[in-house]
Amino acid sequence: MAPKQSIRKEEWGRRLHDVQVTKNDLNRLIMDYLVIEGYKSAAEEFSQEANLAPPVDFESIESRMVIREALQRGDIEDAITRVNDLNPEILDTNPALYFHLQQQKLIEYIRHGRITEALQFAQSELAPRGEESPEFLSELERTMALLAFDCSPSAPAGISELLSPAQRMKTAGEVNAAILESLSQGKEVKLVGLLKLLSWGEQMLEEKAEFPRIGQM
Amino acid sequence: MTTRPSRSASIPIPRSTSSLSPSRNIESVISIPFAAPGRPRLSSAQAFPHRSNAADDHRGLGVSYGTRGSTNTAAAYSPTRPTARSMTLAAGPGRGSVRAPSTFEPRVVRASGEASRSTDTACLPSTSPSRTRRQSISGVRGTSAQRPISTYNTPPPPPVSFARPAYLEHSAFRHMLQTESPPALPPSRKNEPTYEHHGYPAAMSPPTDSDDESNVSPPRELPSAPPSIVSHDQILKLPTRWSDQYRHALLSVSGDGRDLTYHGASCSGDRDAAAARTINPIPSACGIYYYEVEIISKGQKGHISIGFAARDVKLSRLPGWETNSWGYHGDDGCSFAAEKSGTQYGPTFGTGDIIGCGIDFTTYRAFFTKNGTLIGPVFEGIGKDVDVYPSVGMRHQGEAIRVNFGHEPFKYDIDYHAQQQQNQVWTNVLNTPLDSSLLDVCSPNRDVTTALRTSSAKTPLSEEQTKDVINQLVVSYLEHHGYVKTMRTFQNRHEDVGLPPQSLDAVQPATDDHDVDMSGEATLQAPVTHADTIEDDVERRTKIVKAVIAGDIDTALADTTSYHPTVLAAEEGLMLFKLRCRKFVELILEASELKKKMRSRTGSGYGGGSGSGISMARDESPVIEEMDGIDEDGMDVDDEGAGPSSPLPFATNGVASASTAGPISIPVRGNRRRSSASPADVGEVGLVGTAAQYETALHQAIAYGQTLSSDYKDDSRPEVRQLFKRTFAIVAWEDPMTAGGIVTEVVGHEARVTLANELNQAILKSQGRPTSPVLETLYRQTAACIMQLGMLGVGSAAFADMPKEFLEG
Repeated sequence: MAPKQSIRKEEWGRRLHDVQVTKNDLNRLIMDYLVIEGYKSAAEEFSQEANLAPPVDFESIESRMVIREALQRGDIEDAITRVNDLNPEILDTNPALYFHLQQQKLIEYIRHGRITEALQFAQSELAPRGEESPEFLSELERTMALLAFDCSPSAPAGISELLSPAQRMKTAGEVNAAILESLSQGKEVKLVGLLKLLSWGEQMLEEKAEFPRIGQM
Repeated sequence: MTTRPSRSASIPIPRSTSSLSPSRNIESVISIPFAAPGRPRLSSAQAFPHRSNAADDHRGLGVSYGTRGSTNTAAAYSPTRPTARSMTLAAGPGRGSVRAPSTFEPRVVRASGEASRSTDTACLPSTSPSRTRRQSISGVRGTSAQRPISTYNTPPPPPVSFARPAYLEHSAFRHMLQTESPPALPPSRKNEPTYEHHGYPAAMSPPTDSDDESNVSPPRELPSAPPSIVSHDQILKLPTRWSDQYRHALLSVSGDGRDLTYHGASCSGDRDAAAARTINPIPSACGIYYYEVEIISKGQKGHISIGFAARDVKLSRLPGWETNSWGYHGDDGCSFAAEKSGTQYGPTFGTGDIIGCGIDFTTYRAFFTKNGTLIGPVFEGIGKDVDVYPSVGMRHQGEAIRVNFGHEPFKYDIDYHAQQQQNQVWTNVLNTPLDSSLLDVCSPNRDVTTALRTSSAKTPLSEEQTKDVINQLVVSYLEHHGYVKTMRTFQNRHEDVGLPPQSLDAVQPATDDHDVDMSGEATLQAPVTHADTIEDDVERRTKIVKAVIAGDIDTALADTTSYHPTVLAAEEGLMLFKLRCRKFVELILEASELKKKMRSRTGSGYGGGSGSGISMARDESPVIEEMDGIDEDGMDVDDEGAGPSSPLPFATNGVASASTAGPISIPVRGNRRRSSASPADVGEVGLVGTAAQYETALHQAIAYGQTLSSDYKDDSRPEVRQLFKRTFAIVAWEDPMTAGGIVTEVVGHEARVTLANELNQAILKSQGRPTSPVLETLYRQTAACIMQLGMLGVGSAAFADMPKEFLEG
């Protein structure tokens, strides 16, 4: 291994300066975030203020957000209807997504103590699908275990987490991504990718060289 | 903000002191600014005595010709493609060399490889038709009558010329990777359905003149100069040919540098082998590098080793026998990595086979292909600590190979391979956990103490915290550039969406990571709580910035004085001086505008009245349009300023108390726009009025300038003197706006934008905020890291293509 190289601040500053990126580039990163995360009115304002062409139809942002809110509320049926209104192919072509929505619905039944409905729903809708794939089956088993613990906090973390808001967010995120994909829009927030690349890059570079980290310039 | 002065920061590596001929350096050198001095990877073969490139070529030719003369048998030297070879074999030893004088031209059917080689030797490297022909899939060569065939009389062949292979487009450093010639159309992979050995379509198609463009394969769509994170003056040379220097004496190199032929008595025992390597090492910035070798003849035993070697590995050994060499052997299909007896790896190979040889710098492993099929990864740690070169070794009379470094389409779909690897690397990147240090970096009120805290223990960020970090990035960015409305909308909306619905809280079971959540919310709340003051602040700042862009220096000065007094005093009043200089410029522009009006009226014969008003407006329109154009593309905060509050130079008019203005006291006028300055008014006042206005304006400008001069006469700072000189020089021009050159640079709209940016940054700085948005700093830091990694030989960095991932699409 070559000895660790040391890069001084001035030198590093010069390299930072040499990086090619324009305000317009950064504006588009911001827009990407606003669109994907569904900040419709902010995206509209930004489109005006920054003089950027909107990458998607702003109305599609709106409907995406309504769906997301329905999921975060726990109103799965409403969300499914709206997704189908938007584009029926989304669920038709995504069996895993559809299963996760159904699973979420089952979770909501259990959450609200509607045990009879939960059982009926599981038997009529989920069990047949559980036979389709091992992944579905194990998810179904995990969900049904909720009944055994009767939503008590003593349930193992792997099971009680199904009741957490994070589970709703996860499902909502999946739906969001699927809709974005159906609109041929990127589904990963580029800003998140940037942060991750920064962490990745700094970690890798740390092994090879001494250099000013972000925040040390 | 984004003003980016010319990027001139390429730092050439000091070449070795035993510097040889410059051309030698040009040929083999990798000019990398970010040099790791101690690293052999970055320097190339200059330690070896070597002659110039041209000499190299001469000699290469001489060698191969000489050899050919003595061993002119088809078996020993059959450079043709498989189809042709099949005929060759049938035709027997009379086939001869391509470059023999054209006394022998048995068939019109010629394979592309052969023909392209004669093209290579005959055409200048820079002529694109030759390249195009070479790439032609069905590159059927016509009768060679009109094609010059190398003879002893023709000049030595120029360096092999071909475009950067297409698969290298996946590297983020592609712009630095170059073959000898500037990149043009890279060859796409051959996409014939079959790769049957003797079934090259080239041989099947009717012979046509290869100059005919109809044979050109569909060119691969090149991305139209995509943005790059590197400056273009850094060049990493790709391997293009076998070296005439670093080859064993028993091997001859063909004129185009692609063929290696073993000459001499067949040897017995491992003692006798002959290897060659390329001139240029493989830049790890490729991410993945790949080349193919066609076994022209395996001789009797097929003791051919294909692989890689470091610079100084003995040439009398097969690749794989010695330390720092790696090879795949044709006789037994074993792989060798510094070992005497190999490891079973793949099938054997022999005459007619095309062996692909790749190195993956993301894993530091090699892989081979045979006739377009991947065999699999092999070797560990290759290319990690030492530069490697493509290398081939042979041991017996009659063995001959021909290499394809991208001269032609590859048999194996390396493009797909590279793409898969790029996806893999990117997936790894996206799986990188974010840690808590980012909270500090992105926090809106970051100061030195928090920055220091960065080095303390890091914990992974929760999903909520990640969201907060991003939201802070967005808010601070919007705030920085004064996108007030977006910011307001975003923050309102943000509160709605960001917090979990209340109904959920009721049924939500207790989670054990409450602390983390709380801290996340705390950081989230910070900007919201102070939203009012921050917004006011941003609005004030934006107003100032817009005023400067609109040429309304008085307002900018007044507001800056009221809200950010320290800004003007900072650096001994440098910012104030700059603003006052601009004020002077605006006054001069105003005067010159009036003068132009006067003149146009005199010239066009209008005596006055509303008609002339219209005509004047028309006269000005080019200027207005031009400025508006700049407004839209350049600076965004000026949207409003550019509209109703006209960007015309005479937006401000005159100055009060200019003569009493001291260095810190600021000339301010309450009513900054005199109605008489608007075009319609000028029209009504008429010629005489305009003339009078002009006089007044000019006098005011001069008076202001004189005050400025006396106020700063004692300031001997170079930048002050320089700016002062430049500013006053504009008086010498009748119409500075159209004078061009430095004058227009001083007065033009761009200058306003630049000044506005400076003022914006100065205000932010006075508030202890960063002068560029955190987001921009993040981006730059990331790009610099990736670049540095690439230069340090981390192949994965080549597949972290920031422009592609973040800026395109």
